[in-house]
Amino acid sequence: MEVKLLTEHYDKPEFKALVGYKKLGGYDTLKKAFGMKPKEIIEIVKASGLRGRGGAGFPTGMKWSFLPENNEPRYLLCNADEGEPGTFKDRMMMERAPHQLIEGMVISAYAVQSKKSYIYIRGEYTESYRTVEKAIREAYDGGFLGKNILGSGFDHDMDVYSGAGAYICGEETGMISSLEGLKGQPKLKPPFPAVKGYLRKPTIVNNVETLAAVKYIIRDGAQAYRKNGTEKSAGTKLFSVSGNVVRPGNYEIPLGYPLKDLIFNLCGGLKHGRKLKAVIPGGSSAPVLTADEAMRATMDYECLAQMGSMLGSGAVIVIDDSNCMVDLMKVILHFYHHESCGQCTPCREGTGWLDKIVTSIVTGHGRLQDVQLLEKVAKNMMGRTICALSDAAAMPAISFVTKFRDEFEFFVREGRSKVKKEGYNYAQMHH
Amino acid sequence: MPKCTINGKSIEVKPGTTIIQAFKEAGEEIAHYCWHPALSVAGVCRLCMVQIEGQPKLQIACNTVVADNMVITNKSEPVKDAVRWGMDFHLINHPLDCPICDQAGECGLQEQYMRYGQYDPEMAEPKQKKHKVIDLGPTVVLDSERCILCSRCVRFTEEVTKTNELGIFNRGDRSEIGTFHNKPLNNNYSYNTIDICPVGALTSKDFRFRQRVWYLKEARSICTGCSTGCNVNVYFNEEGTWRVKPVQNDKVNGYWMCDKGRDVYKFTNLPVRLTSGKTGSKDNWNLLEAGALAKDVGATIRAAARSGADKIALVITGQYSNEDYDALFQFFSVGLGVQNIYHWINNPEDMNGFDGLLFRGDRNPNTKGLVARLEKYGVKTKWLDLEDKIKAHDLTHIVIAGPENHSVFPDLETKLRLFDQVPNVVWLSAGKSVAVDGLTAVTTQIPMKTFIEKDGTYTNYAGLEQKVKRGTTIVAGALTLEEAVHLMSGEELDMNMRPLPPKYLKTNFLVHKGGPL
Amino acid sequence: MTSTFQLSEEGAAFVKRELNRYEDRHSAIIPALYRVQKENNGWVSPESVTYLSHLMDLPESEIEEVLRFYTMFNTKPVGRHHVQVCCNISCAMNGGRELADRLCQEFDVHDGEISGDGRFTISRVECLGACDKAPMMQVNDTFCEGLTEEKAIEILREMK
Repeated sequence: MEVKLLTEHYDKPEFKALVGYKKLGGYDTLKKAFGMKPKEIIEIVKASGLRGRGGAGFPTGMKWSFLPENNEPRYLLCNADEGEPGTFKDRMMMERAPHQLIEGMVISAYAVQSKKSYIYIRGEYTESYRTVEKAIREAYDGGFLGKNILGSGFDHDMDVYSGAGAYICGEETGMISSLEGLKGQPKLKPPFPAVKGYLRKPTIVNNVETLAAVKYIIRDGAQAYRKNGTEKSAGTKLFSVSGNVVRPGNYEIPLGYPLKDLIFNLCGGLKHGRKLKAVIPGGSSAPVLTADEAMRATMDYECLAQMGSMLGSGAVIVIDDSNCMVDLMKVILHFYHHESCGQCTPCREGTGWLDKIVTSIVTGHGRLQDVQLLEKVAKNMMGRTICALSDAAAMPAISFVTKFRDEFEFFVREGRSKVKKEGYNYAQMHH
Repeated sequence: MPKCTINGKSIEVKPGTTIIQAFKEAGEEIAHYCWHPALSVAGVCRLCMVQIEGQPKLQIACNTVVADNMVITNKSEPVKDAVRWGMDFHLINHPLDCPICDQAGECGLQEQYMRYGQYDPEMAEPKQKKHKVIDLGPTVVLDSERCILCSRCVRFTEEVTKTNELGIFNRGDRSEIGTFHNKPLNNNYSYNTIDICPVGALTSKDFRFRQRVWYLKEARSICTGCSTGCNVNVYFNEEGTWRVKPVQNDKVNGYWMCDKGRDVYKFTNLPVRLTSGKTGSKDNWNLLEAGALAKDVGATIRAAARSGADKIALVITGQYSNEDYDALFQFFSVGLGVQNIYHWINNPEDMNGFDGLLFRGDRNPNTKGLVARLEKYGVKTKWLDLEDKIKAHDLTHIVIAGPENHSVFPDLETKLRLFDQVPNVVWLSAGKSVAVDGLTAVTTQIPMKTFIEKDGTYTNYAGLEQKVKRGTTIVAGALTLEEAVHLMSGEELDMNMRPLPPKYLKTNFLVHKGGPL
Repeated sequence: MTSTFQLSEEGAAFVKRELNRYEDRHSAIIPALYRVQKENNGWVSPESVTYLSHLMDLPESEIEEVLRFYTMFNTKPVGRHHVQVCCNISCAMNGGRELADRLCQEFDVHDGEISGDGRFTISRVECLGACDKAPMMQVNDTFCEGLTEEKAIEILREMK
């Protein structure tokens, strides 16, 4: 069963504009928040168990509490650089409910005492940009942004910034670099953004969904939020389901929901009555699950971690038995090769190397040792770089090879795919 | 003061010291390409991996600060494996063209491969193609395929020169170092990018394809190109000197030197040197051994001084060592009583110029040392006095301790025309000059040694005295100014050029032809 | 390099405003490049980078680094309509790559190049975040979702 907390009013077009949003209870929570002390809000968010919805799943309240206790200006940045293949929830949230995000952000900004925030939206999302930009103007006009918001004495300015096409800007320090007008290359940690972030000032970076959820946590209280989800994975989360299902789309479900039910009930099962082969449960960087594993999985941080995969951004890619896993892995590895920012050697060279090896295999030029080499190279890319992109490329590589080794070995041995697709030329697909 | 253990050695470090600095302090080897002590930490080559007791993940040493009681090693198997793989990632797309690469012999890739690599390459696919032989202006040539994208050169132009010519364009394994559409990298510090390039990506137009580095010897010295006195190594072989590179000295130049200073080796080599003593005048020169000539001309001057030291003038440039000056003043000022002593300032307009980094308008290594001695010996003359005296035909002899490096004396010809109006000219200089050969006065030219051929002390702009040692001999028949002065004064010198009691030796070793002095 | 490119008066004013809009003036580079691209038939020429460098008082190398890092900036001319077909995983599973090939064939153009009539540049791109409507393409600023090959061809035929 879907639980529509954040998405309750997403079907109503009027929710997008300030008037309609206010009619449906919008900005009431902001008033409530101003009646609390900033520290109280942080405590409530901590108690709610909210974890970052962008991919890493770091506890939000804890992240906020890393800010140093000083008088330096601090920034709140909303990460709307949704780029993890398979993910399209933030786009919907911005296009259907921009004020929900703004309200969540002002509450969060008040909690961390930030006077300035930016929403960094990936460049391709021009519609999201226009919608959010317009909503910010409305919010200023309505007195929800600017000086002395709602008579609270709290000032906050918000602006929107457009990326220009780089997956790596979804990494929080990559995003900070990009916002600073540089190449979107992740920064060395330490120092962490909470201490030295945007322009070397204390900075909090949160995902769109995370910031929007803050509004509901403050509205209903931590305990109410915790009614959904599990002990360690509290609340609801949006999942973007795509691939070979009948009804792909965004679904808000309580964490801990069975993946099987998500695929077969909410999404109507597989198209053309095909068989389930595999599921990537958390965006293309999450290790793939076999059909067996998928049937047992629940959609929460701990179950997927236990299965050696991760919840990630909540992008569920459902793969049926007509797909060749070598072919799909080539698509994924090409992506990481294309997106590696290039600063750390193991990632810059490793992503290219992995792509080259799998290309050799998929074009019929693989060597016997290549399957093992894929694993070896991938393993040595992990945990050796500034950011997680290298791991993001290595993890699917390792999981694809480990779980579908027979398909890889068949391709090398026979020079063709084990999965025969009518009129399908693998080499041509990857020209 | 945090204490830590580095590969089993206990050391104490200053708070804030990074692990890589602690390794250097402990004298332990640690592989690295992107880290450079004078640049910001990039943390991208991922080679300086270390294992810290109690931490599951390997850490990079360049961005990890030493905490008290840290136990750190880079000798464990996981570290070695990580470095080996780190090397492999650096090498898979590297062209491995060492036989035609100028960096061979001093290449970071070769060094670390010998330490951590020595395996067969596993990549079967073609290497990434990038741009080669990119002309980056007057000094630097770039080979992008050799580049390992450590970003040192980019950080250098960002942080040190703040000229921002270089950037890394594109991303992933298509990234390439370069300038904006190959605009020239032409700041006065561009050669430093070549020094800090750990591989053969940036090579020097001045040096490439001229020598193999393993055939060169090096000698510590200082740059004599201006009054800063940057510490350098001069690279040489039996054919001469080939290049100059900076040596770290935090009191003087940090890790850098300017491009103008890179030229200082050029005036030490045979083609531009005065290689023999000469006497005569325009179109009519007799070649003589420098020592014999110095003695002869010394006798003449001593005789002239006896009939009136005011008819003798001494002109000095800021190009010699303090020892040279001391001998000079001792003989002329104290010994002969010459008072017409003049400081030849080669570029009075920019004498006080400074570019904010290292390069100074005073293009002499020892103006400060000279000025101190002028003061010591009470010389208060002005250049105009000399001009007046010459025009009034008051002088019979003029002795000029002329420039070692002619290229920084734009006024050389003008000044020579002035000196030529004195009947007898004694010209001491390391360099040969068509203008000097054109003098009509009775002229004696005595060849001088250059900075790399002698021991001595130079006082830089800030008053810091720096000693240099002889590195090599290029013109065997040349003298140091100190030696020349001793001979002029009638003293004899031993093989080590120390003055001998006059009666001790009858033979002059300086005219002895066997071997270098 | 003599600068032959110039933004319109409004464009230059926009860039000046952007320089003051953010906490740091470097942040104006991306918006400025977008503006140049818009006024320069869809791509950013070296001359326009030199122009921006003067206008914004920032080194050319820094602007060029940004320009070449982000895929949405074109560093060579493109057709009047830039057609970007998603070929990442969900689209690939639903015929995105075949769609890209078919469009190239139909409009007689190679991947990433301009069609002979100057109408189209067709490129394969990475995930655009419309995976539930796979396959999809972006034509200039507009997302065209839930495509079939025929539907896509029809959309492009309408474009002049």
